Amino acid sequence: MKAFKILKLMDHGRGFFEKRHVNYPALRAILQTKLLMDQRRVPTIMSGSGRKKHGQRERNHFLSSLWFYALIGLVLVPFMIMGGNYTFQMSLAYAIIMFIIMTSMVSDFSSVLMDIRDRNILASKPVDTRTINMAKTLHILIYMTLLTGATTGIPLVVGLLRHGVIFFLIALIEVLLSDILIIFLTALLYFCILRYFDGEKLKDVINYVQIGLIIAIMIGYQFVVRSFDLVSLNVTFHLKWWDVFIPPIWFSAPFELVLHDRVNGYLILFSFMTLLVPLLALAFYMKLMPTFERNLQKLVNRGGKQKSQRRFSLESHKVLCRSKIEQAVFQFSCLMMKKEREFKLKVYPSLGFSIVLPFIFIFNALHDGSLADLSTSKWYLSFYFSLVIIPSVVVMLKYSGNYKGAWIYKALPIEEHGDIYKGAIKAFVYKLFVPLFLILAVVFIVLFGFRIVPDLIITFLNALLYVYICFLMTGKVIPFSRPFENIQQSDGIKIFFLIFIILGFVGLHWLCTIFSFVLYGYLLVLLAVNVIVWRKGFLLAARSFKG
Amino acid sequence: MKNAPVLVVEDLYKSYDGMYVLNGVNLKVSSGEIIGYIGPNGAGKSTTVKVMLGLTEDYTGRITIFNQDIASGDVAYKRRIGYVPETAELYDSLTAFEYLRFVGQLYGLQEDPVTSKAKKLLELFGLDEDVLHSRISSYSKGMRQKVLIVSSLLHNPDLLFFDEPISGLDANSVMIFKEILSALASQGKTIFYSSHIMDVVEKISHRIILLNEGRIVADGSFEALQAKGQQGSLEEIFNQLTGFDRHRDIAQDFVAVVQEV
Repeated sequence: MKAFKILKLMDHGRGFFEKRHVNYPALRAILQTKLLMDQRRVPTIMSGSGRKKHGQRERNHFLSSLWFYALIGLVLVPFMIMGGNYTFQMSLAYAIIMFIIMTSMVSDFSSVLMDIRDRNILASKPVDTRTINMAKTLHILIYMTLLTGATTGIPLVVGLLRHGVIFFLIALIEVLLSDILIIFLTALLYFCILRYFDGEKLKDVINYVQIGLIIAIMIGYQFVVRSFDLVSLNVTFHLKWWDVFIPPIWFSAPFELVLHDRVNGYLILFSFMTLLVPLLALAFYMKLMPTFERNLQKLVNRGGKQKSQRRFSLESHKVLCRSKIEQAVFQFSCLMMKKEREFKLKVYPSLGFSIVLPFIFIFNALHDGSLADLSTSKWYLSFYFSLVIIPSVVVMLKYSGNYKGAWIYKALPIEEHGDIYKGAIKAFVYKLFVPLFLILAVVFIVLFGFRIVPDLIITFLNALLYVYICFLMTGKVIPFSRPFENIQQSDGIKIFFLIFIILGFVGLHWLCTIFSFVLYGYLLVLLAVNVIVWRKGFLLAARSFKG
Repeated sequence: MKNAPVLVVEDLYKSYDGMYVLNGVNLKVSSGEIIGYIGPNGAGKSTTVKVMLGLTEDYTGRITIFNQDIASGDVAYKRRIGYVPETAELYDSLTAFEYLRFVGQLYGLQEDPVTSKAKKLLELFGLDEDVLHSRISSYSKGMRQKVLIVSSLLHNPDLLFFDEPISGLDANSVMIFKEILSALASQGKTIFYSSHIMDVVEKISHRIILLNEGRIVADGSFEALQAKGQQGSLEEIFNQLTGFDRHRDIAQDFVAVVQEV
C-alpha cells in the first residue's frame, strides 16, 4: 500500500481533529482512499497523453499533471518581471491564475466533490457527518494547495527575486484568498445550476468547461512565447468604479497601496475587498454546505423529461444517404457526436483548435506585410491547416464511452458494413466539419475577397477526399465500438503521417493556382473523383476489410 | 434473547417534493428473523431501508435500532449493521482488496484481520487472489455483487439489509448465499431482505412484509398469509394483494402489438 506523505504529516495533527470530535481513523481512511482514486483518474489536462499499459508500474496521474500546471504557470512569469505598473500586471496575473484554477477545479475536481457514491458507501457506515465533511474539506484543501502551488510556484519565486519580499508575501496571501473565492464561486455555480436544472444539465456545463479549458490551453501555448513582448509594454491604467465587479482588479490594489505608497479611495476600497470578500464567501459557503448537499441528491435522480426532440431539420439523412442502414447510422452518429460527453471532450477541443490554426499562420504573415498585401497573397491556402482535425476525428469515431452498446451491430442482420462506415463518416462531415468549414470560409472571404471562392470549393473537395483517405488508413472498426482506454499508440503515428498528406494537397493546389483554367480543370477532376469515391469507395473498402 | 426487538419503526412518513412515498409504516422486528420485504416498484422498499440507515433524513416518525433512536445523531448503531445497496455502488477505480480494507477501516477494524478475512470470504465465493487485486471496474455484475456482500459482513453485524443481493449471481452462488442467510439467522442475526424474486423470498423468509403505496398491506409468515385466504404461491399472493390481476390481458395486448409491424 502506498503511504501518502501528506497523511503522515496529518498524523501529527491528530489531537487537533480529535478535539473537534472527528473520528480520526475514519478520516484518515477516507482521505487515503480518495487520494488513491485521484491518482487513477486521468485529469482533463492530460487526456491527450498515452494510456497506462497493462503491467506497467502504476503512474500517479494526478502528480504528473502538476508538471503540466507548472508549465502553464510560466505564462505568469512575464507579468512578474514587468516593471512597477502593478494595477495592470497583477490584475492580469490574477485573472489568469483564477481562470486556470477555476477551470481545472470545475473540470476535474467536481466529479470528486460530487461523488454521489459517497452517500451510499460512507453514510451507511458508522461514520458521522462531521468526519465526512472534514474529509471532504481536507481533500479540497490538499487538491487546491498542490494545484496552486504548481501553477504559481515558479512565478512567485520570480516575483520574489524581482520585486522583493513584501511583494512575495502579498502575492502569496492573495493567491490563498483567490483560492477561497474560487471554491466559493464554483460551489455557487453548481448550487445555482442544481437549484434550477437537473444533474444532467450540470454534467453538460462541466463538459463544456472542460472543453473550454483545453482550447484555452492549446491557444494559450501559442502566446506564451509572444507574451514576453509584453515585458516592454507600458500601459497606463486608471481604476473606474465598475472595476468593483472584477475580482482580479481588487487583487492588484494592495500591491499599489503597499509598494507604491499610493493612497486613493479605490485602492483602499479594493484592498479591503481583497481581504474581506473571500472571508465572507468562506463563511457563506459553510452556511450553504448542507443545502448544497441536499441539492446534490438531484444528481442521482433522473433528469426531467427532455423537451421533445426536434425532427432532423431538412431530413438531412434522407438527402445525404441512400440506403436505410446508412440513414440510420447517420442519424445515430449525429446524435452521438452531439450528446456523448466523453466523445465531445475528446473531439471538440481539437475542433476549436483547428479553427484557430489557420489564423496563427496568417498572423505571422501579417507581421511581415500589410493587410492589403495579405488579401492579394496566396495565404488563403493556410485554410488547409484546419484539415488537421480530420484524421484525429475519423480515428475517434471508433471510440465511445458507451462502447458496449456496439453489440447491436453484430446482432442485426446487416449485409453491407460499408453503409455503417459511410453513415458515420458522413455524419462527421455534416455535423462537425461542414459547420467549421463554413465559419472559416466566411472569415476567409472577408479577408481575401470573393476571388477565392473556387479555391475554397477545391479545398472542400480535397477535404472530402482526405476524409476518405483517413478512413481507409484507420477504418476497419465499427464506429463507437471501442473504449477510449484502448486508444492505440499506433493511431497517433497514423494520424501524424496522415497530416503530412495535407501538405501534398496544399502543394498541388498551389501549382494549379498559377493558371486559372488549370484551377477549374482541377476542380472538375476532384468533383468526379469525389463522386466515385463516395458512391463506391466505402462498399469496396468494407469488402476488402472483410477479406 | 429471542424476540427482543432489534428494530422498531413507528409511524414512518416520508415525502419527496410533496409526494408521500411512505405513509405510516409500523413494524417491529426481533432477532433471528429473516424478513422478506417485498412490494411493487416504487412502493417505498428502498426508501425504508435508506431511512433506517440514515442515508435519507427528513422523515417523520420514530425508528429505534438496538434500543437507540437513530435520530439522536449518534452513528454507533451502524457498527452493527451490514448493507448491500440496490444500486451496486462501489469505488470502481479501487481493487476489491483496497475497497474491502477501506470498508473495514470505516468500521474501525484492525487492518490485518480484516484483509485476511476479506480474502478468505472472497475465496469461498470463488474469487481468487488475482481478481482480488484487479480493479473493480473490470468486474462482472456477479463479481461486484460478491464484493458487496462480503463488504456488508466484514464486521460481523447483527442486523443486515440486503437490497436485491443476488442479482447477477449464478445459480450455484445463489445456493451458497441462501445457506449463508439461514446459518446467519440461526445465530440470531436479523436479516431484512428485499427482492423482486418471489420464489427466493418465499423459500428463505420467516416472515413476509408486503409494502404497497407506502403502506404495509400484509405482514406474517408465508403460511399465515396463505391461511388468511390468499391462495397459491407468493407470486400470486403478491398479485392479489397489490390489486393486480390484468397480467394476462396486458400480455395478450403486448403480443398483439409485437405482431403488428
